[in-house]
Amino acid sequence: MSVKYESQLREPLVYGDKTYHQVTEDIIRPIEAKPSRLWYIGFFVSVSMLMFGVYSVYREVTYGIGQWNLNKTIGWGWDITNFVWWVGIGHAGTLISAILLLFRQGWRTGVNRAAEAMTIFAVMCAGQFPIFHMGRVWMAFFVLPYPNTRGPLWVNFNSPLLWDVFAISTYFTVSLLFWYSGLIPDFATVRDRAKTKLRKHLYGIASFGWTGSTKHWQRHESLSLVLAGLSTPLVLSVHTIVSFDFATSVVPGWHTTIFPPYFVAGAIFSGFAMTQTLLVVVRKVFGLTDYVTMGHIEAMNKVIVLTGSIVGIAYLTELFMGWYSQNKYEGYTFWYSRANLFSPYGWSYWGMMACNVLSPQIFWWRKMRRNLFVTFFMSVIVNVGMWFERFVIIVTSVYRDYLPSSWSVYYSPSIWEIGFYMGTFGLFFTCFFLFAKYFPVIAVAEIKYVLKITGEGQKERMGTMEGKLADEFAHEYAH
Amino acid sequence: MDKKHWQSFGELNNSEAFQQSAKNEFNEELPFEADDKGFMETKTPRRDFLKYLGFSTAAAAVAASCEVPVKKAIPFANRPEDIVPGVANYYATTYVQDGDAVSVVAKVRDGRPIKIEGNEASPITGGGTSARVQASVLDLYDGARLRFPTIDGKEVTLEAIDKSLAEALPSAGSVVLLTSTINSPSSLEVINQFKTKYPTLQHVTYDAVSYSGILLANEATYGKKAIPSYRFDNAKVIVSLGADFLGTWISPIEFAKQYAVGKKLSEKKLDMSKHIQFESVASLTGSNADDRYLHRPSETGAIASALLAALGGAGKDTITDKDLKAAIAKTAKELSEHKGEALVVSGSNDKHVQVIVNAINEAIGAGGKTIDWSSTNNARKGVDGDFAALVESMNAKSVGALLIVGANPAYSWFDAEKFKAGIKNVKVSVSFNSKADETTQLCKYVIPDHHYLESWGDAEPKSGHFSFLQPTINPLFKTRQWQDSLLKWSGATADYVSFLKTYWGAKVGGENGWNKVLQLGVMGGETATSKVLTDLNIVPATVALSSAAYNAGSLSAAVDATKAGQTGIELQLYQKIAIGAGQGAANPWLMEMPDPITRATWDNYLIVSPAMAKTLLGIDLDNNGQADSYEVNPPKHVVEIKANGKSIKLPALIIPGTHADTVGVAVGYGRDAKVGRATVDEHKNTVGANAFPFASLSNGTVSFNVASVTLTDTKDKYPVALTQTHNIYNTDQGNRTEVMKELTLAELKKDPTVVLDDREEEAKPFGGLANFRKDATIYGSYDKPGAKWGMSIDLNACNGCGACVVACTAENNVAVVGKPEVLRFHDMQWLRIDRYYSGDANNPKVVFQPLMCQHCDNAPCENVCPVAATNHSSEGLNQMTYNRCIGTRYCANNCPYKVRRFNWADYSGADSFPHNQDELNDTVHLMNDDLTRMVLNPDVTVRSRGVIEKCSFCVQRLQEGKLKAKKESRPLETGGEGKKWDLKVACQQSCPTEAIVFGNVNDKKSAVTAHRSDNANRLFYSLEQLHVLPNVSYLAKVRNREEEQGAEKKEHA
Repeated sequence: MSVKYESQLREPLVYGDKTYHQVTEDIIRPIEAKPSRLWYIGFFVSVSMLMFGVYSVYREVTYGIGQWNLNKTIGWGWDITNFVWWVGIGHAGTLISAILLLFRQGWRTGVNRAAEAMTIFAVMCAGQFPIFHMGRVWMAFFVLPYPNTRGPLWVNFNSPLLWDVFAISTYFTVSLLFWYSGLIPDFATVRDRAKTKLRKHLYGIASFGWTGSTKHWQRHESLSLVLAGLSTPLVLSVHTIVSFDFATSVVPGWHTTIFPPYFVAGAIFSGFAMTQTLLVVVRKVFGLTDYVTMGHIEAMNKVIVLTGSIVGIAYLTELFMGWYSQNKYEGYTFWYSRANLFSPYGWSYWGMMACNVLSPQIFWWRKMRRNLFVTFFMSVIVNVGMWFERFVIIVTSVYRDYLPSSWSVYYSPSIWEIGFYMGTFGLFFTCFFLFAKYFPVIAVAEIKYVLKITGEGQKERMGTMEGKLADEFAHEYAH
Repeated sequence: MDKKHWQSFGELNNSEAFQQSAKNEFNEELPFEADDKGFMETKTPRRDFLKYLGFSTAAAAVAASCEVPVKKAIPFANRPEDIVPGVANYYATTYVQDGDAVSVVAKVRDGRPIKIEGNEASPITGGGTSARVQASVLDLYDGARLRFPTIDGKEVTLEAIDKSLAEALPSAGSVVLLTSTINSPSSLEVINQFKTKYPTLQHVTYDAVSYSGILLANEATYGKKAIPSYRFDNAKVIVSLGADFLGTWISPIEFAKQYAVGKKLSEKKLDMSKHIQFESVASLTGSNADDRYLHRPSETGAIASALLAALGGAGKDTITDKDLKAAIAKTAKELSEHKGEALVVSGSNDKHVQVIVNAINEAIGAGGKTIDWSSTNNARKGVDGDFAALVESMNAKSVGALLIVGANPAYSWFDAEKFKAGIKNVKVSVSFNSKADETTQLCKYVIPDHHYLESWGDAEPKSGHFSFLQPTINPLFKTRQWQDSLLKWSGATADYVSFLKTYWGAKVGGENGWNKVLQLGVMGGETATSKVLTDLNIVPATVALSSAAYNAGSLSAAVDATKAGQTGIELQLYQKIAIGAGQGAANPWLMEMPDPITRATWDNYLIVSPAMAKTLLGIDLDNNGQADSYEVNPPKHVVEIKANGKSIKLPALIIPGTHADTVGVAVGYGRDAKVGRATVDEHKNTVGANAFPFASLSNGTVSFNVASVTLTDTKDKYPVALTQTHNIYNTDQGNRTEVMKELTLAELKKDPTVVLDDREEEAKPFGGLANFRKDATIYGSYDKPGAKWGMSIDLNACNGCGACVVACTAENNVAVVGKPEVLRFHDMQWLRIDRYYSGDANNPKVVFQPLMCQHCDNAPCENVCPVAATNHSSEGLNQMTYNRCIGTRYCANNCPYKVRRFNWADYSGADSFPHNQDELNDTVHLMNDDLTRMVLNPDVTVRSRGVIEKCSFCVQRLQEGKLKAKKESRPLETGGEGKKWDLKVACQQSCPTEAIVFGNVNDKKSAVTAHRSDNANRLFYSLEQLHVLPNVSYLAKVRNREEEQGAEKKEHA
């Protein structure tokens, strides 16, 4: 009889009977090796996309927002759609690192580094849109409440856009700190293994003189907890505040109290999907299948089906309220501009419904949750759906609002609008390729932390030992 | 002491070289960049100083907008007595185009006219204007104006042309003076003088769209070849047989003013005139009618005849259509019940139809009541037959010299080719024109005419009503008034100014009297309607209305001539309010003004009915999907129109209110590129097509109705720039009556507070209307002491003519963005006139709603701006701080009225990025050349790229008005009982019907307060339920009908 009982469902978090050294070898090796051909191709494509984005933005800054196809009725289109989309993606990382850390979810260690990196890059991409959607971007500093000689003239604290400025910059700062503090011990590992002077020097600076002393570890742990505590409310607040951009307005379809939870669920939904997209590829390319296991993939798919269903309920609630409120303006937006497939933008609503609500239901089946191809395909579909969602919320609400006289002509993006979006993909993947090449993509130190408890080999040994000890214990007390 | 001090040997010896240099002591040129076309090749003459000064000040003022440093500013060395920098001068003058003469006041800033206001002293217009009058100031600065005289296209001096013509004219043989209608008494006298020199001179009057039918009919029945004064204000029943009297017919400003008198409702006496319109293609007038009946253009005569018969006259009833028959019976009933206070007008150019209309008017006793023969309307005098005869004699080589003033038959005559062939036979052809239009291009001698703002003159729009012109700027180019030329060629020594003064000298009481009338701008008039006149203690003589002796001799022939309607598709040519017969086609303000009926800009198109759209284009507006797709996609079907062996291709717009088998095409398009850059589109193609060749001559008058038309859908698409794509305010989810309230007189009589009750009901959850402002919010409410600006618009008085739209553009430097930008919904107008349809989709009721920033007290735009660039003033203004705006467009999204306009590109050149206008269209470049920019108002910032702009309630005028009152140490006055107007906003000033009232709502006696409290039952605020608390109120539209509007409402609820 065993005192310790572990569920059969709890899989090992690290496969193979790894030693600490093996873990280091597995994860740090790609950093020390020469990049593969595939890496170069991917990097080149990303940088090209980034350059096209830079040119698109250059045109927009030089000639005006008229380079885009927005108009007097539709003030926001692809720009803010993309902004919200990227911010949403930037939610998974911090959720995984912070909230799961507080809930002591050991499985986070395999995916948190990459997820956090993704968060940072996604927020960087997201930030481009509210900045460059301004008509006069060179005056963007006006949104900062800095001391000035104009009175002083303050920013408008009533404006949700200003709240965005604070929310996103805070989120970005805290996420960056959290990510970086986790990287410090790993950078030290890379430093210690470095064979060239330059590498030693650079990783030396990056690791802030980490020695691995107990004092360092103690402070590192405390800092992680403090940052986790700080980030947790931020995960919820950022998208809540982004949703306020719409919820506090008077536009039918935007003016909705359901938005904060609906947006946060949607953000986690899309963030996990993006993490899946990246990790399914990374774990294969870098041979890290022992660390990012099917268990991880399945756990994240569970989150996807949960949050996907939450947004589904939110969509249905909106439709219900559109009818139940008997508000003809909202009714028109929800039932005609959106739910009517044959209205000009009906396709986007049903695209959203198909991608976000219907297709994730496939994850109710365990087999599907553990199927890599299905996972990858669905992760892309979910993010397409989430893009539709933001497009639906923004465009189908404003293009036909209160005065029928101002209803808009059909809006489709210009090449420069698409180029800007492509450019942020370029930025994202350029950063991600550099990250994958120069940074440990899995938190080495944290894996080691859980290795003894949840590693496959260790668990087996531990199980036998514990069993033996328990028998002895029972035997002793039998007398 | 006679000692001479000298500075140089040259001075001591007084050499020739010294004399020369002393004479040219200040010989540097003013810094002015010469234009390429010979216009500034001469050195700057001293007398042009003001012109240059005005120019550079304009450039400086323009450059002084957002962030661009001031480039040039030249201060006055000696300030002219009457110019104070920054203070405008106003000069009364007269807008003259063809026969149209409108008394106006030109606002002149630093030597350049920048805005036209209506002259409130005029008893005809009372300060009202039209879109074309408002836009005329832009024509002054039109780069396409001719800049110097030419012979055979080569630049010559005026002296050379005079010399050459002094030889050529006497030997040319018969001399013909071809003019558009001239109603200037002194000019007619000039022509008489010219006649003494050339006794064979024949004066032919040619009007592009003539009223020959009326003139000839009146000659036949009243013995007077003239148009009487119509008095729509005296009519209780107005029946119009296709006359667009609010838009383009004879004297629309005057008629709109009179019409509004009968349409404005008083709560004490719920009574208004009844307007019945019979028409074929939706017009502005038809859209305002209480009842509109659709018929074929060929049926006009039959309808008139049947109406006469129904009134017991000698007409015959050949109408077979059941609906039309009932309509005529109903109309006849209305008319006979209101004898002596009814009026029938017809837009037909057929003499026979007009003879029958005269008979009807006799039968209903209109003479001396609603038709006044004591004063005739001189707007149009041309008879088509005279011109046709001239063309014949030109082709017969019997015209030696042709002098052309204002007429452009090479474009607007239906058989222009014949005219062009004829003019080749004319030895001496002289054109006095400010532009190289189609006719001027055919002339040997061209002496460019002044713009009216550079001219002296007078006009007599109605007999006994005089209006005067005085120049407001030195001529910009080497131009000369045509009267001066004629005087010179008749051997007179006096120029036209002194001729004019001599002509009027005794009549106005000498020099003093002359100055007085010049200052006032007008003389003569029948009623003391104008407050300005009262203020000046001028009491106009009262003239009794008079009728004329009627002779029914021609009636039976006229009735016999009426035919039953044709079958097949018919085409009606019409004039657009902005473009007219082509006069507005080169004016970017007018081209970009959305047409009140179609809401389209920049283009000519074919108007088809919803019924024909189904068969011809395969578009069913009752099918939501098809209607949506038609609305949201600017490319429209291109249709080929074939008739009379001619064919043109135009895009088709579906306009309800058009007869099922009739299509409409506007004349005035397809102009020659030399008339102005606005006549060509971005692909260098001519805008629209000339529809005049479809017209035909019958019985000596030109008919604009075309029968047997073939239409084919070419399957091509052509984008039409519409500024409004959706036209009804009811949806599947409910009728949006909060946007617009309209009802019938019967409903209002039954329940006078029906509108008020609706609003009460809406505000009920917040304790009713009385507490709505305070209790529908969680925020506290505050007192707003001092001035608080508000506007009230009477939708019964507004007829949608669009004068205010152009006035606003002119006053506020609103950018013209060109067709490619309007297509992308980037139009910038601060004030728009929304048009909604209700009821029967084939013949809907139309309502116009002028919409500008509502200056909400709880403005949704204000709280969303992250940088507080838009905020609320203590006077209730929602104000934009352009240089604080960073362009997030959040405010525009959150504006429920969608009145905020974003600068998508550098439309105004106010931005400091080099080359950023490179990719913009020609129109923007045209509006940004140095000459055109002289029209900019220096009081209003030119907005840079990337900022939001919107109606400011003309804050510059408010400031000026407040300062005026302050300087005089008295409270501000904004109209009201016995009060003056310290200020009027631009839209209000331009409105011919005084539909817009603006002022201080905190002043319990101001006009706007009275307008609201006197009409409390009809008052509503658009989208009031949102609690945005707009400062613009509307008075519900009431139609004089028996049926209930509510019946339709319920159907859609």
